[in-house]
Amino acid sequence: MVGVRFKEVEKRDQAVITTGHSTPHLTPPYTPPITTTMPGFDFSNHNRNLALHSRGVPLPKATSTGTTIVGCLYDGGVVIAADTRATSGPIVADKNCEKLHYISPQIWCAGAGTAADTEFTTALISSNLELHALSTGRKPRVVTVMTMLKQHLFRYQGHIGAYLVVAGCDPTGAHLFTVHAHGSTDKLPYVTMGSGSLAAMSVFETQWKNSMTRDEAVALCAQAIQAGIFNDLGSGSNVDVCVITKEKTELLRNYITPNVREQKMRNYKFAKGTTAVLDQKVITKEEISKYVTVQDIGDGETGVGEKMEVDS
Amino acid sequence: MFIARSEYDRGINTFSPEGRLFQVEYSLEAIKLGSTAIGVSTSSGVVLGVEKRITSSLLETSSVEKIVEIDRHIGCAMSGLQADARSMIEHARVTSQSHEFHYNERLGVESCTQAICDLALRFGEGAEGEESIMSRPFGVALLIAGFDEEGPSLYHAEPSGTFYRYDAKAIGSGSEGAQAELQNEFHKSLTLDEAEVMVLKTLKQVMEEKLDSKNVQLASVTKEKGFRIYGDEEMEGVVGRLEGN
Amino acid sequence: MASLFQQSMPSTGPGYSFASAPTHHSSSGPRQHAFYPYTDNGGSTLGISGATFTILAGDTRSTSGYNINSRYAPKLFRIGGDGPENEGARIVLSVVGFAADGNALKERLDTMVKMYRYQHGKEISVHACAQRLSHILYGKRFFPYYVTAILGGLDDEGKGALYSYDPVGSYEREQCRAAGAASSLIMPFLDNQVNLKNQYDPASGEGLEKVMRVPEPLPQETVEQLVRDAFTSAVERHIEVGDGLQMMIITKEGVQETFTPLKKD
Repeated sequence: MVGVRFKEVEKRDQAVITTGHSTPHLTPPYTPPITTTMPGFDFSNHNRNLALHSRGVPLPKATSTGTTIVGCLYDGGVVIAADTRATSGPIVADKNCEKLHYISPQIWCAGAGTAADTEFTTALISSNLELHALSTGRKPRVVTVMTMLKQHLFRYQGHIGAYLVVAGCDPTGAHLFTVHAHGSTDKLPYVTMGSGSLAAMSVFETQWKNSMTRDEAVALCAQAIQAGIFNDLGSGSNVDVCVITKEKTELLRNYITPNVREQKMRNYKFAKGTTAVLDQKVITKEEISKYVTVQDIGDGETGVGEKMEVDS
Repeated sequence: MFIARSEYDRGINTFSPEGRLFQVEYSLEAIKLGSTAIGVSTSSGVVLGVEKRITSSLLETSSVEKIVEIDRHIGCAMSGLQADARSMIEHARVTSQSHEFHYNERLGVESCTQAICDLALRFGEGAEGEESIMSRPFGVALLIAGFDEEGPSLYHAEPSGTFYRYDAKAIGSGSEGAQAELQNEFHKSLTLDEAEVMVLKTLKQVMEEKLDSKNVQLASVTKEKGFRIYGDEEMEGVVGRLEGN
Repeated sequence: MASLFQQSMPSTGPGYSFASAPTHHSSSGPRQHAFYPYTDNGGSTLGISGATFTILAGDTRSTSGYNINSRYAPKLFRIGGDGPENEGARIVLSVVGFAADGNALKERLDTMVKMYRYQHGKEISVHACAQRLSHILYGKRFFPYYVTAILGGLDDEGKGALYSYDPVGSYEREQCRAAGAASSLIMPFLDNQVNLKNQYDPASGEGLEKVMRVPEPLPQETVEQLVRDAFTSAVERHIEVGDGLQMMIITKEGVQETFTPLKKD
């Protein structure tokens, strides 16, 4: 059965119903006020969901994200981490993709969900945040990023499939949030998202403690990601980590690489002449100007592409 | 209480105090009334031969079928109640076809014989509680000849459900004399041609009528040609090779 | 209460779906209930036959959705043979697809092969076993075993024999075959490396004069290397393949089994 978590309603948050998995939204016909003063757990939302379900309101469909991302606050900063597998269906599309996105020098974002949505959303918010920082003349705040993201995502009613962990340091301290595709947010000391969120959360729930050091927090996050890598098929390959303190940001790309491909047993080079050449045309160096336009690009500083990563 | 010995004649599933099943024993007697059938196995194939017992000059001799095909590589000769043999042969044919259908290979001769003998016991309830399908044991014995991956082989199947493999075997009314003759004449290096003559010679000795190409029937099973019933001309040829004909 | 199966059925896709929740519980109209008894447990299998041997291989991961059910769930089974471990077997069956059906199919074929020995007093040949398997599969034409099977052994002449099946019994003897989740990744590799498709002999003239390379049975060591490379590569690009590689090599000496770890991510 769907477990329903009760939570205090914070001032800036909407009252939301969170289901067990990631957090899409019900748009219920009515929302009874939660006015209990009883101690202990409150199951009124669970009972209400049962009643809604029996009246024919379908439960929300959780979207798969095929990723493990986590975040964890520690004394003096915040750490976020991600796996590096990108999938399309059951096929691995990219074995070493980057899921940690730049927002501002001291604010980074881990993204799960539809790859395009996480990339465009973070880039858009990053751009707007830069303009905002320029016009205010202050360092951007994490809560601002979180608010911009949730407003953007809520406007699109969940159609933008971006599930994000936002982390950073600003003049008010170190902060950690999650933002779901429908626009709901959480502020917690440790968070996980994506299809590997349960595997990762099991690590936090057994090992997290208050007032960790930087190294402890990095190790815990890396271990949580590895739990996702090995136990969730949607996650895999390497661990990326980003540590943000009020002084600096460290991006530890491929912090752990536990899935290096072993040497192939055979050589698969084809002998020259394996493919038949049926026709050929020789173009001499002198003739080449007939086929191409040569343009001088100066000192060659511009137009240098990033080297593609390939298997050895 | 009066219990006559003959009371045990009735129930086909009832042992007599001496441990006998009379109905089964009587069925063996029925075979001794049947026409003589002989089978001889050689290294290159098996020969089957039967006497046809032409009871009337008006009888169409070709309608007397005592040797029949079970599959391309298996045939059989019968002695006893011919009508009973029909259901046994039908069962053997179905088993053989089913085996080829399921396994894409020919049924072994022993497996074929076993299948026939399984049916022969169905006058009682089956091992898995199947109801009995017959009111009495069969009244016919079969000589089953075949050629499989083990080579040529000849089996004798009785109504009791037992079967044995033979180099040469005679069944039916003249079986005692014929079997003694086979015992004397058989040797391992027989050729198929010699076996054909030997079968006819043995039949001739136990037949009441004078043997000719119309009142006997021959068939053979070989690797090359499989099971084959001899036609009129071929019969005349073999009868011609028989001394004193 | 909703249908018994609605909540307990494992979903094929990742996560949970409540799309089939009852829409009008109280309405008196006819309600449709769906029962889908199949699951895809992922994984891949592969078989290659040589001049004197046949190799069957499969990964040992069992999945449902994004979850791993087991890191060691074999897909290769000895058929016939003696005792609980089927020692002395000469035929190997590999099944991939719905694991429960695969196990049921294995049990039935194994029983039938053992019955064959009792009834006919000899070991069944691979080609007879192949025909039998086809009939078992077609026997459930309208409620199929949800599996792709590959049967391997040695034929009457001692040459490697390999038969591949679809779920309802269509079968064919082949040199090589990949099946299961990563079959579309492995089969083209086999076409290229085993059957030498679309390749010309480099030493045979120019252009249209070129002669196609002719496939011939590969040595056992080469085949073992190809199988390993096929699986380590499939693991790289398919999320449902991994954890371990089980291989069975059938030669006239019998069945030799090996296990190699694969990546676990």
